[in-house]
Amino acid sequence: MKVKGFLKDVGGASRVTKARLNAFETASETPETVDPIGNVAKEWHPGTLDLAVTDIRPASPTAKTVRFEKVGGGKLPPFYAGQFISLAFELDGKVLCRPYSISSAPFEARKENGYVEITVRRSKGDGLICDYINTELKVGDRVKGNMGLGQFYYEPLRDAHHIMALAGGVGITPFASMAKEIANGTMDAELTILYGSVSSNDIILKDELQALESDRVHVVNVLSGDEPDWTGERGFLTAELIKKYSKGDTSYFICGPQVMYKFLREEIKKLDVPARRIRFEVFGQAKDITTFAGYPVEKKDETYTLTVMRGIHKDEIPAKANESLVVACERAGIVLLTDCRSGECGFCRTKVLSGEYYVCPENDGRRAADKDFNYVHACAAYPLSDMTIKIPIV
Amino acid sequence: MKFYKDHYDVIVIGGALAGLSSALMLAEKGKDVLVLERHNLPGGIATSFVRGGIEIEAALHEMMSIGPEGNRLKVGKFLEDMGVQIDWLKVPEAYHASLPGLEVTLHPGLETFAKEVDAEVPGTYEKVLKLLNLCHTVFDSVNELSIHPMSKVQMLLKHEAFVKTAGYSTQEVIDTFDLPQKAQDLLAPYWIYVGTGFRTLPFTIFAVLMADYIGYGSYIPHKFSHEMSLKMAERAEAMGVQIEYRQHVDKILVKDGKVYGVRTARGDEIHADYVISAAYPNKVYTSMIEPLSEVPKKAIKMVNGRRLSLTAFSVIMILDKSAEELGIHDYSVFRGDTMDTEALYQDLAGLGPYRYLTCICHNYANPDATPEGTCSFSITTLPRVDGWKTVSADDYDRVKHEVAKQMIDDMSKYYGVNLLDHVLEIVIETPMTVAHYTGMWNGCIYGYAHTMEDHIVARLQTAEEEKFIEGLEFAGAHQISGDGMGPAVTNGRKAAKNVLDDMKKKEAAK
Repeated sequence: MKVKGFLKDVGGASRVTKARLNAFETASETPETVDPIGNVAKEWHPGTLDLAVTDIRPASPTAKTVRFEKVGGGKLPPFYAGQFISLAFELDGKVLCRPYSISSAPFEARKENGYVEITVRRSKGDGLICDYINTELKVGDRVKGNMGLGQFYYEPLRDAHHIMALAGGVGITPFASMAKEIANGTMDAELTILYGSVSSNDIILKDELQALESDRVHVVNVLSGDEPDWTGERGFLTAELIKKYSKGDTSYFICGPQVMYKFLREEIKKLDVPARRIRFEVFGQAKDITTFAGYPVEKKDETYTLTVMRGIHKDEIPAKANESLVVACERAGIVLLTDCRSGECGFCRTKVLSGEYYVCPENDGRRAADKDFNYVHACAAYPLSDMTIKIPIV
Repeated sequence: MKFYKDHYDVIVIGGALAGLSSALMLAEKGKDVLVLERHNLPGGIATSFVRGGIEIEAALHEMMSIGPEGNRLKVGKFLEDMGVQIDWLKVPEAYHASLPGLEVTLHPGLETFAKEVDAEVPGTYEKVLKLLNLCHTVFDSVNELSIHPMSKVQMLLKHEAFVKTAGYSTQEVIDTFDLPQKAQDLLAPYWIYVGTGFRTLPFTIFAVLMADYIGYGSYIPHKFSHEMSLKMAERAEAMGVQIEYRQHVDKILVKDGKVYGVRTARGDEIHADYVISAAYPNKVYTSMIEPLSEVPKKAIKMVNGRRLSLTAFSVIMILDKSAEELGIHDYSVFRGDTMDTEALYQDLAGLGPYRYLTCICHNYANPDATPEGTCSFSITTLPRVDGWKTVSADDYDRVKHEVAKQMIDDMSKYYGVNLLDHVLEIVIETPMTVAHYTGMWNGCIYGYAHTMEDHIVARLQTAEEEKFIEGLEFAGAHQISGDGMGPAVTNGRKAAKNVLDDMKKKEAAK
């Protein structure tokens, strides 16, 4: 080809067209259906899994560990220790989703007929599903699950090699997963768990964690209650106590009840560690929305009409001002799937077509443009007038 | 319960930039359109996410074809014409090139750029400007011809430079300018945005790339690419388009060679006269058409005769100091240990360490991209699918972290600061991430490689012959204009135009 002469060449278009047709003519006519990259993506994130309960055992006098395996057997998807699973329970024909930190380890999910476990404490009051799991769920029952969710996990490119877990109550579960994975040699980190409980009876997974103690996994139980025989640490997870067990560069991972978050936010400030070393697990659904800044308390007992659009289909349901849009849909039997229920993941992203609403400031994980166009994460949004929303068809 | 109408004029599979552009254009002509998107928000990879309370851009480096206010280029103008008002921010420079023996920041404007190259490689001003002007002439022709097709004779009269360069690769044309290697190197960094080495890349594509980016500069939306995607979706809905999220289309229904609808994973069978698919032809012709017996052999040969282009691997970090404090300079740094694009293209077939990295610090175009005292910094390579196809689910996390660490270490060395000591948030996006969220075939975001055997001019010439199923159009990087968010819009418009033309033809025949 005379390159220098290209300015005289007018046949280029025909040449490249011929080359194209020739490439097609000589190509194979056997369909190539392989998408290996897509397949790996699917193995990590297969979407909704059909799971069966295969074991239930006590994790403390008030908590149970429930094991799930895939219906029909096989491996479960890979995940990171610390992540959660969203389980969809069908009760009285209504679908209720709840997130649970996985208390088993990733390597256990990757065995043939692998499993995941959650550990759930019987609640004192509003935990409808917690009570259901503790009292009614039995081996052989089936649920749907979506797993490998959330950002609460050790990221070696960000976190210090030494992790200090600050756990309260059932917030011990993600750290149980990490401890097992470290003990198995499949997670390269050192873990010190400071675990606050009221009494020794409240300590969840006590024996399991004790069995994992090594030079890489340390467990320190801290009791706040008055228990005369207790020889371990006492009181709350104060800055002083945290300092005592910190060593060198440490990342603090915090998971526990909402009151503990409020307490630890202040204590953490006293530690004088950089922001990048502190990681809180999501806040969870607000226990009492009326206590949050800016919530119009005078409206808390109101019930509004919520118009829910799914495609061109329309339903009208009641919605209480002190319950999230998700809860209103769940009560009415309208399936609105959720993952984190903390406003963070955006799985329940919903368009508000009309009406006033309040978004829990602790749980406002929305994108800026979404705020501009009245999108809410329905698990963290509360009606303040009659509303119309549009949700995905399930 | 009835969620869908009995019939739509057009069903668009995929609510990203291409699909939404199709929807906007069809809705503007009063057509009844349904968009089905598998994710729970629009945009595909033109999106953002929130980590630790900070919103993070997922993919956009810089939008081409926007142009300044009052002088919009085709994508900027199309969006305005559709009533989509984006708060565009100008990217301050073209790029900082960090190449062997070169550390130089170049700015948009053909003359400015030529002057800056000349300052680095004296005596090249005239030649570089001449080359850039040639690029601009070809660019003008491409823009005009994509709207007004014309005969070959007319084309030769009015678009001589376009016609006469069409048969040559980028390197072949550049060679005729007799430029020193260093000047050539300074013209090459954007190659990664079209993803083929210069001995293979049609000059036509290089010309459009350079004239657009260097001639007019680039832009980003103020509230990340989600602002653009969401505003397009909102506008489409306001114009009557029905958009349904989290609806995965499994099948495209065909009878007697003609499309009549789709079936979703949920099981809804929805009918329409036309279907526009953002799913790759590879996937459509091998698993989505129902029945598969409706797929002609020629369609399979066409897909097999094309080469998948690039996917993406990005390490996106929020750092706990400002860019200035960390010594991170410039909006974009293109860094390579060579600027031999053929060698770099070979390198992209592997799993790293990658030799050519593209780094973006959004704060330089958008000062409030992150909270005060922090900055956003991303390092990207755009590998070929080949290497990543060999990674298993069990190896995935290890490979992903190894590649990410190499990239961070490389840039840490460059800036003389250990970036790992400043990570507030880190997200590693891989080809698998793309596949997970968008369903793109093999996580490929660039469609088919621009090569001399798959030349844009040839794509235009043979487009009609490559319609194998009546009523089925495609919109996405796999179409004529190829990869990039700007071209995605153009590809979407083209699909809508094909549908509208066909509707007119059918009406006229009645």
